[in-house]
Amino acid sequence: MIVEGIPVPKFVERRVSSRSLAAFGLGFLTVFYIVPILFLYWNSLNFGGGGLFSNYERAFSNIYLVTLGRSFYFGALTTVVTLALGYVLAYYIAFRSSREKFLLGLVVLPLWIAYVIRYLGIQLLLFPSSPLVQLLGTDFGILFSTKGVIVGLTTVFLPFAILPIYHALKSIDEDLIDASRTLGATQLRTVRSVILPLSLSGVVAGGIIVFILATGSFLAPAMLGGPSDTMIANVIEQSYSQTFDLGLASSLAVIYTTILLVLLMVFNSYVNLGEVLGEL
Amino acid sequence: MLEVENLTKFYGDLRAVNDLSFRIEEGEFGTLLGPSGCGKSTTLRTIAGLVDPTEGGIYLRGDDVTGQAPNERNIGLVFQDSATFPHMTVEENIEYGLKMSGFDPDEREKQITKYLDLVQISEYRDHRPTELSGGQERRVSIARALAYEPDILLLDEPLTGLDRVLRQDLRNEIKQIQREVEVTTLYVTHDQEEALSMSDKILVLNNGEKQQEGTPTEIYDDPSNRFVANFVGKSTRLPGTVASHDPPQIDTPIGTVPTDTASLDGFDPGSDVEVFLRPEDLSLADAGDGVLRGSVTNVEYLGTYSEVLIDAGEGIQAVLHTSTSADVDIGDEVALTFDPSNVIVLEA
Repeated sequence: MIVEGIPVPKFVERRVSSRSLAAFGLGFLTVFYIVPILFLYWNSLNFGGGGLFSNYERAFSNIYLVTLGRSFYFGALTTVVTLALGYVLAYYIAFRSSREKFLLGLVVLPLWIAYVIRYLGIQLLLFPSSPLVQLLGTDFGILFSTKGVIVGLTTVFLPFAILPIYHALKSIDEDLIDASRTLGATQLRTVRSVILPLSLSGVVAGGIIVFILATGSFLAPAMLGGPSDTMIANVIEQSYSQTFDLGLASSLAVIYTTILLVLLMVFNSYVNLGEVLGEL
Repeated sequence: MLEVENLTKFYGDLRAVNDLSFRIEEGEFGTLLGPSGCGKSTTLRTIAGLVDPTEGGIYLRGDDVTGQAPNERNIGLVFQDSATFPHMTVEENIEYGLKMSGFDPDEREKQITKYLDLVQISEYRDHRPTELSGGQERRVSIARALAYEPDILLLDEPLTGLDRVLRQDLRNEIKQIQREVEVTTLYVTHDQEEALSMSDKILVLNNGEKQQEGTPTEIYDDPSNRFVANFVGKSTRLPGTVASHDPPQIDTPIGTVPTDTASLDGFDPGSDVEVFLRPEDLSLADAGDGVLRGSVTNVEYLGTYSEVLIDAGEGIQAVLHTSTSADVDIGDEVALTFDPSNVIVLEA
């Protein structure tokens, strides 16, 4: 029996064991995920003249390090802004709204639209010729600047923060909130001392997702940022598609991924992720 | 002292509480007793400030608190499922209310120690509530609700979900603690045994309306209507009509039931009534005697007594509590007698 209620022919049933089902998924991951990453490591090494790690020596030059630093900085900034906005929105949907399903639908709806199109929309909204900019007389310096990148990333990743936070808020026993109030706590104090600590798992989960996605962002800096807002994904893309420097692209990718993993591990040593996310 | 005046609560079109008024004196243990959906929890939550009344007023120690937020009222609420904060230790749970009420650190320490002692969980002070048993968790929530010395302690079915022995232990302890702390208390339950054993005063509610208010004895021995008589305690029930006042008698399908003059007060001869006989007021007699006769359909041994069910004919089932040494078996033909002064007569 694989799926209850659905008859499965005998010859299939014998072949479809849980082991073979697992093998299918694992096989896919091995071919299209693990093997490519191993290729990446292989490519980042230089087997010609000039030393095995010469690609890494080039990657560790100032210009790339600044870009790497900027990527993590933008990622962190996006995470903070997204979490703050996402928490307020999730709180409203979870506790204050009478139309939860509808609002959750609205939150998820933008995920149906490609990032390119959404960034294009923001561009059009902030172009000098847009009615809004004409009306206000300024775009507040958002377009083609760091602000533009952060605005773009925040709008795009907001659902990834709202959903886990909403879920965490919904799983708080409402009696605990009532208990806090009857014990003499104001609404604000209840949010700080009861609701926030008990929804931390959602904040952490959303934060990690947004941080990883935002740090590796490629489109937002390309479409909404200025010349000095380039992020690491842009540099990697340029080095293999424009200068065909596979060695540099691979070593940058390896460095970026390693730093990201190290950051997560450091974070994990402060906040036990297994424990926090286990609550979700 | 708690006063509830003409409290009415609508949820949309549904009337949960209807024009309810009552008063719990300083230090008194009051209970709201009724089946689920009778409005008892809504009433309690309105007193706590968690639900806004549609109409009516709530007064705590003489102050009108009707429009106040829960944190502005000095109340202690014990929830059905404890509602202890899982991210705080037992100590922090209790300290929370003390902090909010403005106790300084020294006083907090004193109160925490005192109330942990009172509910006998001092050894779990540094534990998380999630590490405790259900009974211990209830104790934490009781200590938490009492530590800052509220004007009134509200308990919302706090023994739900605990096993029988633990329920009984905690029941006695809550009563003991209440007497010791002398806190005005309002207890909500659907369990008549809890209500009868703990309360100074019971309010029986049904469909959001007060059915009767009185001491446990008054409620049990002198129910004011059929709902109360049925809800509190078991009875043998006989439909009937008042035959005469002198001698006081009631005609029932299985014969004429003798009663006393007082029980027929307010009933004219010929009016429809329902007769209630409590199981402990019935006793076994020799076959041939008594109005109630029939064959035993079930004998349930309950340790200190046995509950005997008798098919008295005409669809009437008699229930009797007898000593466990009594010699009755299923199928025996028996007769039952009772003291006419114990007959409860209520409007049909």
